[in-house]
Amino acid sequence: MKLLKPSWVNHNGKPIFSVDIHPDGTKFATGGQGEDSGKVVIWNMAPVLREEDERNENIPKLLCQMDNHLACVNCVRWSNNGLYLASGGDDKLVMVWKRAAFIGPSTVFGSSSKLANVEQWRCVMILRNHTGDVMDVAWSPHDVWLASCSVDNTIVIWNARKFPEIVMTLKGHTGLVKGLTWDPVGKYIASQADDRSLKVWRTMDWQLETNITKPFSECGGTTHVLRLSWSPDGQYLVSAHAMNNSGPTAQIIERDGWKTNMDFVGHRKAVTVVKFNPKIFKKKQKNGSTPKPSCPYCCCAVGSKDRSLSVWLTSLKRPLVVIHDLFDKSIMDITWTLNGLGLLVCSMDGTVAFLDFSQDELGDPLNEEEKNAIHQNIYGKSLAITMESQLSSTIIENPEMLKYQQERQGNQNPNEAQGIGPENQTPKLTNVLNGESLEDIRKNLLKKQVETRTADGRRRITPLCIAQLDTAGTAAVNSIGMKSNLLLTSASKIEPMKALDSRFTERSKAMPGVTSVPLTIGITPLDRVKDSSSVKEPKGKDETSSDSEDKIMVKSIAKRKGEMEGAEVVEKRKKGRPRKDAKTMPFPQVTFLLSKDPSRLTTPIAVLKLPTPSIQKSFSTQVSTDGVTYLEVENEVSVVSGSRLSQLKWSREGREWDVLLPSRIIIAAGSSNVVAVACEDRTLSVFTACGRRLIPSIILPVPMSALHCSGHFVMALTASAMLSVWDVQKQTALVKNESLNPILSGTDATVSQSFLTQQGVAVVSLSNGKTYCFNSSLETWNLIADKQDSLVQCTDFRNCVSAQDALGSMGPLALTQGRNLSAGRLASRLSSTPHHLQQGMTLAFLEKQLSSALILLSASEYRHWLLIYARFLVNEGEAVREGQCHCSQG
Amino acid sequence: MAKVQVLNVAVLDNPSPFRNPFQFEITFECMEDLPEDLEWKIIYVGSAESEEYDQVLDSVLVGPVPAGRHMFVFQADAPNTGLIPESDAVGVTVVLITCTYRGQEFIRIGYYVNNEYTDPELRENPPVKPDYTQLQRNILASNPRVTRFHINWEATMEKMEDSENVDPAPNAMLPPTSMPGKAPPLGLMPDNSMDCL
Repeated sequence: MKLLKPSWVNHNGKPIFSVDIHPDGTKFATGGQGEDSGKVVIWNMAPVLREEDERNENIPKLLCQMDNHLACVNCVRWSNNGLYLASGGDDKLVMVWKRAAFIGPSTVFGSSSKLANVEQWRCVMILRNHTGDVMDVAWSPHDVWLASCSVDNTIVIWNARKFPEIVMTLKGHTGLVKGLTWDPVGKYIASQADDRSLKVWRTMDWQLETNITKPFSECGGTTHVLRLSWSPDGQYLVSAHAMNNSGPTAQIIERDGWKTNMDFVGHRKAVTVVKFNPKIFKKKQKNGSTPKPSCPYCCCAVGSKDRSLSVWLTSLKRPLVVIHDLFDKSIMDITWTLNGLGLLVCSMDGTVAFLDFSQDELGDPLNEEEKNAIHQNIYGKSLAITMESQLSSTIIENPEMLKYQQERQGNQNPNEAQGIGPENQTPKLTNVLNGESLEDIRKNLLKKQVETRTADGRRRITPLCIAQLDTAGTAAVNSIGMKSNLLLTSASKIEPMKALDSRFTERSKAMPGVTSVPLTIGITPLDRVKDSSSVKEPKGKDETSSDSEDKIMVKSIAKRKGEMEGAEVVEKRKKGRPRKDAKTMPFPQVTFLLSKDPSRLTTPIAVLKLPTPSIQKSFSTQVSTDGVTYLEVENEVSVVSGSRLSQLKWSREGREWDVLLPSRIIIAAGSSNVVAVACEDRTLSVFTACGRRLIPSIILPVPMSALHCSGHFVMALTASAMLSVWDVQKQTALVKNESLNPILSGTDATVSQSFLTQQGVAVVSLSNGKTYCFNSSLETWNLIADKQDSLVQCTDFRNCVSAQDALGSMGPLALTQGRNLSAGRLASRLSSTPHHLQQGMTLAFLEKQLSSALILLSASEYRHWLLIYARFLVNEGEAVREGQCHCSQG
Repeated sequence: MAKVQVLNVAVLDNPSPFRNPFQFEITFECMEDLPEDLEWKIIYVGSAESEEYDQVLDSVLVGPVPAGRHMFVFQADAPNTGLIPESDAVGVTVVLITCTYRGQEFIRIGYYVNNEYTDPELRENPPVKPDYTQLQRNILASNPRVTRFHINWEATMEKMEDSENVDPAPNAMLPPTSMPGKAPPLGLMPDNSMDCL
């Protein structure tokens, strides 16, 4: 590993809050405080990477600086295609920047630095909506959306194709939202806030998917930012500042069930930023050794307020490297190069550091095809095409392609090309107006400019327009010759990632003495090239220094082990710490099941137990979309004559009620009509939306795993995998203690999601990608969606989709099937299935959709699919079924 | 954010005899079409002692301003010498260029101006009554002081987004005696500092 602190990257000593490397790797942006405004600076990457470029005075270091933000810039992020830069700041604004191709170099007028801007980046859009400082911005995969979060407690999703259109404002946080990350699969967006919660939102309907509070209950709002990150394989979400046993951690959240069993520990102060390497790695194959197939793994950098940086590989229990004293103040942001081997870190102290890893240290990065194959394996689809069909126009996917296009454009217009490239350093304005050079124009400007008198006798000058702004250039460009990395199938079989598995420190499972210290073991300040960094160290020395680093780490760990007796005290104290964790109290229902419910034991169903949420001191959920309604639960609010009371509080737009319950509340759910809560004492209480108890407590045989309300329906999924649905208005049971055995048996899948439709149909999704609903009249489980379904991949009905339903229908079916459907349409273009076969598959698929919509009682979706079905039949001339279609429509 | 960014101001005809008109070539960029004109002003600070002696040399409307990069030359007559205190005629003073939109000032550019006799004889023994025909005006073009103000660019919103920045007066380029920051107090500026331009 090589470490460099390029001292020339600075904001004149002012803090740098954010750093982001351009996807093509040639430049990077920093954001922070300027003289009396916010400041965004774009820097050349080459002088960071190569010493000779750093020395070469003909190679510019600073490419452009923008002082347009009125207050400190908290975040800068390049779009994935590299065309845009988004910045958010304390002035409540999000600005979107684009490079203006044909405007010559200029300086920031009146700024003390006389450096010319080599590249011209112009603000093409100002997004105004937030009522407080914007803390973080994030582009969604494929740049469909831009999300921004703010101290106004909201997250705004902007339509990146139609700025400044707002797709949705996500409300629900009750504190300053300080970090955002998109799921690389595009299904979710996660946010972390000062309200001690991390929320995951679905992109399908922009509703809350899960609210994670436990790891944050001890956190104080002391960090400036909480930049969380999602792993490139989508399997893990890692939070910023979390606490475990009073120690600061970065919490690892598994996509599967949003489990929080692992964390990165060791930083002495709050974690401000986590950033996953964009690459997935596999072990470097050494020459001579027999190539063994190894699991791919991810790499993650963690920065903290304690000024140190740690880099972790998910295949190692301990950090790959920890660097202390890299900065004088808190680390604020981290960015990886696209090749995954370089890392830029910025700090509140106004400096940045660059870390350069070798493939020997990190491993071999998987290429895009292998990465796609992993995604294919996990999600049943390659990410490369996930959103594609949703977009009206094709967009450039990778920087290489973009570069190619720029080169092409550059050839067409030599004037333009002149502005690019380091050899053209003399700041000449080459703009040509009617064959006249700017110099000529300037000579005669006073004579030529049009001056008139207004009615009241005032002078009025018509300014001479010397350049138009290229706003038209924002339209997406067609991707000509884009090489198809849209592979749906891949020959090479890659094992799904098993990284993080029992690695790192599972919560207090490992010995406390060791657990909490790996990072605090002081690795003596290594290569501190600070300030003196204009010259890089020779390569040989770097290698040895990286070696010695490892040794130091080993040595200090050994030393630490020798001190284990000394750690005893610490250990004892830790046991007394209040918050227990998942590992120390694994699912209490197990013992419960055995001791108190022997009748259940006779059936093998006990094997099918589902996880139950652990008891929290307090939590809140948002229910019902019409009118923002919150349910707040506070357990053990008061103790009255020895009995502990818990409080459930309901609030909608200023109106609220609360009710006290004798037992601690585990889950709460609600709809616009009813509210249901499941308590620790296995009771289920149902209230009307006005707070009146509807029925006396329902006693459940086993604890509750999931609870949903919709309309007048209440759905309960117990830990023993039994499903019940009640209509509480009519006081009837729609589904009575139905086992999930039929759908769970024979697989090792678990329930990944469950919900209740407006019509009271219970839907259960499993981790194997299959989704079922229970039909109460047939008393059967029906498969309504299967992500592995080959029919989906091969259907082609896009001719039958009219413009207004191109966006798809919203409803339970769409919710479970996701965007697989649209992915299929592209797939069909790539596959060479014979037409009649494809026709048959499409028919079968559409009929399946129809029947699924019907069984879900989803009227709008039924109509949607019926229309497509009918159009398809007409197009393909299927007379027989057409008749049937008429019947069913009748 | 401001819809109008001043990219450059070139000081033309500088240095020049005192009675020559001021000429500033102003280049600015506008983010979107402006429905109303910009109003530019040149203000000559007659005396550092008091705003009383400030002279608005001229004000000019600039428009229409579509989105894009524009330039124009703002020419204004030299100050009325009758309004300048005799003691302040020679020496360093300030000229200000301001721009307002919908009556709100969003940028103020200040230049130091050094007025001195070209004739060494006169320099040594300046006449009691200033001889303006012999005075040379030298604008320190390389060191503009730019102050930007947050204004409301939209007509619809009456309310200011950021009220504390509305009134530029207290932040305006301060009289030379209380000039903040790096520049040396103008009175103490060495005589030859202007010559090295």
